[in-house]
Amino acid sequence: MSADAAVVPFARDRTLVGVALFIASESLFFIGVIAAYVVFREQGLATARAQLDVGRTALFSVLLFASSGTVGLAAARRSRAWLALTALLGAAFLAGQGLEYARLLGAGLRPGSELFGTTFFTLTGLHAIHVLVGLVLLGTLFVASSARPRRVGHAAWEGIAMYWHFVDAVWIVVFSVVYLGTVAG
Amino acid sequence: MATSLEPIVVLSLIVGALAALVFAGVLAALIVFTIRFRDPRPGSVPQIHGHRGLEVAWTAAPLALLATIFALSLVTLGQIGQGATFGSLEPPVHVTVVGHQWWFEFRYPGGAVTANEAHIPAGVPIELDLGSADVIHDLWIPELGAKSDIVPGQRNVLRLFTARPGTFSGACAEFCGLEHAWMRVLIVAEPRADFERWLRSQAAPASGQAGRGLEVVRSAVCSSCHVVRGQLAGTSIGPDLTHVGSRATLAGGVLANTDEGMRAWIADPQRYKPGALMPRVPLSAADLDAVVAYLRSLR
Amino acid sequence: MTAAALVRRPGAFATAGVLRTVDHKDIGILYVLLGVAFLAIGGVEALLLRIQLASSGLRVLDPSTYDQLFTMHGITMIFLVAVPLLVGFANYVVPLQIGAPDVAFPRLNALSFWLTLFGGVLLYLSFVAGGAPDAGWFAYAPLTEPSHAVGSGMDWYVFGLAVSGAGTITGAINLAVTILLGRCPGMVMGRVPMFTWMVLITSFLILAAYPVLTSALVMLLVDRQLGGRFFDPAGGGNAVLWQHLFWSFGHPEVYIVVLPAFGMISEIVPVFSGKPLFGYRFVAGSGIAIGFLSFSVWAHHMFAVGLGDSENAFFSAASMLIAIPTGVKVFNWVATLWRGRIRLAMPMVFALGFIATFVIGGLTGVSLAVVPIDLYATDSYYVVGHLHYVLFGGTLMAVFAGLYYWFPKVTGRLLGHRLGLTHFWLTLAGLTLAFLPMHWLGLQGMPRRVWTYPPGLGWEWSNLVSTVGAFLIAAGAIVLALNVWRSVRGGEPAGDDPWDAYTLEWSTSSPPPAYNFESIPRVRGKRPLWDRAHPDRMDPE
Ligand code: HEA
Ligand code: HEA
Ligand code: HEC
Ligand code: CUA
Ligand SMILES: [Cu+2]
Repeated sequence: MSADAAVVPFARDRTLVGVALFIASESLFFIGVIAAYVVFREQGLATARAQLDVGRTALFSVLLFASSGTVGLAAARRSRAWLALTALLGAAFLAGQGLEYARLLGAGLRPGSELFGTTFFTLTGLHAIHVLVGLVLLGTLFVASSARPRRVGHAAWEGIAMYWHFVDAVWIVVFSVVYLGTVAG
Repeated sequence: MATSLEPIVVLSLIVGALAALVFAGVLAALIVFTIRFRDPRPGSVPQIHGHRGLEVAWTAAPLALLATIFALSLVTLGQIGQGATFGSLEPPVHVTVVGHQWWFEFRYPGGAVTANEAHIPAGVPIELDLGSADVIHDLWIPELGAKSDIVPGQRNVLRLFTARPGTFSGACAEFCGLEHAWMRVLIVAEPRADFERWLRSQAAPASGQAGRGLEVVRSAVCSSCHVVRGQLAGTSIGPDLTHVGSRATLAGGVLANTDEGMRAWIADPQRYKPGALMPRVPLSAADLDAVVAYLRSLR
Repeated sequence: MTAAALVRRPGAFATAGVLRTVDHKDIGILYVLLGVAFLAIGGVEALLLRIQLASSGLRVLDPSTYDQLFTMHGITMIFLVAVPLLVGFANYVVPLQIGAPDVAFPRLNALSFWLTLFGGVLLYLSFVAGGAPDAGWFAYAPLTEPSHAVGSGMDWYVFGLAVSGAGTITGAINLAVTILLGRCPGMVMGRVPMFTWMVLITSFLILAAYPVLTSALVMLLVDRQLGGRFFDPAGGGNAVLWQHLFWSFGHPEVYIVVLPAFGMISEIVPVFSGKPLFGYRFVAGSGIAIGFLSFSVWAHHMFAVGLGDSENAFFSAASMLIAIPTGVKVFNWVATLWRGRIRLAMPMVFALGFIATFVIGGLTGVSLAVVPIDLYATDSYYVVGHLHYVLFGGTLMAVFAGLYYWFPKVTGRLLGHRLGLTHFWLTLAGLTLAFLPMHWLGLQGMPRRVWTYPPGLGWEWSNLVSTVGAFLIAAGAIVLALNVWRSVRGGEPAGDDPWDAYTLEWSTSSPPPAYNFESIPRVRGKRPLWDRAHPDRMDPE
């Protein structure tokens, strides 16, 4: 029995409203973690200044910001090409994060080595996991929409795009707090 | 005032009376209406949908009531909070409190160190500086009123006062692990002169009877956790034993500090305070008697 | 696979459809069964605590067992009893009340339930896997840091709460979207039944509060598994940060488990008074007010932490303010009785009991919001008394009222009135004996979470009375179980609408068919069934 089919009176975009609520709730999750980072910011500032590579991370961040545009186009045009490009940019960003992590771990920074390690890896790590989930979603959408395009409704495109925008927006905050935060006093 | 509890009692009585009135009102209406309008027969009554005036009334009335209570609470807070003098002209006596799992350590200016039993002068404000050696504890002497958490990495102060001498029992109020229940404490309030005498004797090095008992305590592992100032050099992981004989109870109140109590504790702490951080130290009966005699002589 | 099957062939319900069902009514029933099962478990844990505390110096339980039991009792009752029971009723009733055939996302709905169950299982696995959590339900750091909690108990706490929390969040999304978009024609927000209103507000509270708990749990996990330092002062961390994060979830949580209860009372009192709910708009509005206020009071759990007098004063004032919208609800319920035609059927009996006991709990709550009083009473049995009056005398009494009210709709059969009264009086007497003396014990100086207490302080009698009360409550619960069993096999048939009720769930058959209504209903007032029965005196707009 396909219950979804039977739900007559629901507005067609109920999925999008659901996704919106999910994102709202997710953002409170990040507010919790960001708050913790800010509480300990002072103790970590010295290490952050010494260790973080603001320039290069800014570069990779631009790629992620750009992917917000491409996913928008993808959703608007149901275009798998734009979808692929979005995923590519997202993957590139993750690669950038990988490099940053490798360098910091090489320098001996660990989640347990000092307070800054704890807050930095937790916050950026949780964001990276969300990017990863986003990539999986993009991939699934890509495959599904090439297999049988008709069964992939606009809710799927719009919903996944919304989530990707969210992941992007979170990074704007995290990048400002963690990286730009070292430049500003 | 008599004690630092007094202002809280006064406030509580006012709040309690107001609360009782509110409850009585609601309950009376509930019962009266239910009896008065009970009617199992079918049929229908006038359909009343609401009344704006009433809504305003029962929003405003509680607001007024709560505003009053809040104002009164600020007054009380001033009487017991930071820098409270409780109407005494004396400068406050400072005592440092360190919470351990599961016992209280008290350090006085002038070197006196004791555990689970603190003496204070009556008629003088006491300022307790609270610190923790491990987890969060909380010092509460109900008869003296307010409590305060003891938070590691944070320094809290608690001001207490009693005009009349007496012994007040209290406890750790914040859950702190296995033996939170047996982290009890005694506060002995006495006239200033007696307090000063007590303080001098506690600050003095130990004058326990030397001999067999002392030998055993030195040779056994005791010194790896205890200190007896002047007679046993050690590390103070556990309570300072310099004047342990002078205390009323042992190990946070599980045992009375008698020969039997002391023997029982040393023989097997885990039996009386399961989980306590003092191990069972095997001693021969003779050694045990000697140790007990020695510790009891540390007055 | 419909609810009816549960009545006729419980076996079939257990095996056949259950694993595959996505019908909101079945999911609702599953949630309630989950809640009842864990109520029995958490209750038995409580009885063990009470036996150990019956007198001073008892050794029925050792400290470590006691700590695990009171911790699991608290966690169980909050996360696996109160929340599932209320979510269960919401799942069953809300779509019916708004004239929808199902919830917005039936499959997600099933997932939410199984996540909640799985979370509970994880929590209880801890008992066999090296010890249950034993740091209290709010698990204050640094007692939970690896340096102090060596066992795996706290890890199970993290996973159990995170998983069941995920289920609760997805469930809330589902209910919110259902209420926002699934209402039948004519069911504007101003006509939505009050229970549905309160569920909507609760859903938003869940969406705002639970993620904060999840974030705290993740940080605790980092501390425990990756050597992090968030909450460990020894490593530069901050133990109080955990308290802020936990309580900014924890306080909204307590309204999460009471607002739907308010909703139930707001349905039952009018029906059995033969009148509409007094001040509908104000009852709904006060719910919204409570929702917002509940996020600005969390530090009233931390008055003794040393945040500073002005901070304490702020949170004290905010906490007191919540008494006002709550009072508005209470007064409107009482006013609904005024000049009504009151029928004392079991749902009404429990609803009246709820009002009396909840007000007591609420008033002790206000006394705790008064900083100087809290500095005396915090962490004492006075708080334990408060929380049971609001959670048992509040939430659970309302759940019982709701059970007697909706049981006929779910099964097509009425619950027995005599056994019902026995259950009621045992429960009321039991909770009074069990929880009223706790206030006195707290004022006498008895701290909470103590596995035993010394003789000579005069605490024995009150504790003994409390223990007796606990067993009366348990006896009441067994009477309830008997009542349910009796009526499931051959109770009095209920018909579609045994109560002359007002809302749409009573317009369809008992139990309702799959997809609830032959045709999607259409309403023109707050009380569709009243309007239908009294075309001459329909509710004004
Ligand atoms: C259903 C759950 C529930 C509910 C509804 C409440 C309701 C309230 N609670 Fe309670 N509370 C808990 C569950 C709940 N609480 C739990 C579980 C704990 C312990 C947590 C732990 O430590 O384990 C706790 C602890 C707790 C504390 C901390 C105690 C401490 O640890 O030191 C405080 C302090 O302010 C508090 C306050 C309040 C207040 C002001 C209300 C108000 O919302 C009450 C409002 C209602 C009324 C006031 C009655 C009706 C109103 C009227 C009739 C109008 C007229 C009234 C007046 C003018 C006063 N609660
Ligand atoms: C909804 C919430 C809820 C409910 C209903 C209860 C119910 C009860 N609670 Fe609970 N309690 C809490 C929430 C709740 N509690 C919380 C949050 C804490 C704080 C934990 C902490 O400090 O961390 C707490 C702590 C707590 C303590 C303090 C422990 C301590 O500080 O050391 C005590 C002590 O007596 C206690 C006792 C009881 C008793 C006797 C009941 C009785 O009502 C229970 C009666 C028994 C039953 C209801 C079970 C009946 C069922 C059967 C016998 C089987 C029959 C079969 C069927 C019904 C199918 N509770
Ligand atoms: C591993 C550490 C350790 C060792 C070894 C140890 N103790 Fe203790 N001792 C403690 C701790 C911790 C306490 C506090 C226990 C409590 O109250 O929870 C304590 C408490 C006591 C007390 C009670 C003090 C008071 O004021 O209540 C006495 C007396 C005592 N120890 C004597 C001894 C003697 C004698 C020995 C050697 C035979 C000994 N201890 C060995 C750790 C130790
Ligand atoms: Cu120390 Cu509880
Ligand atoms: Cu609260």
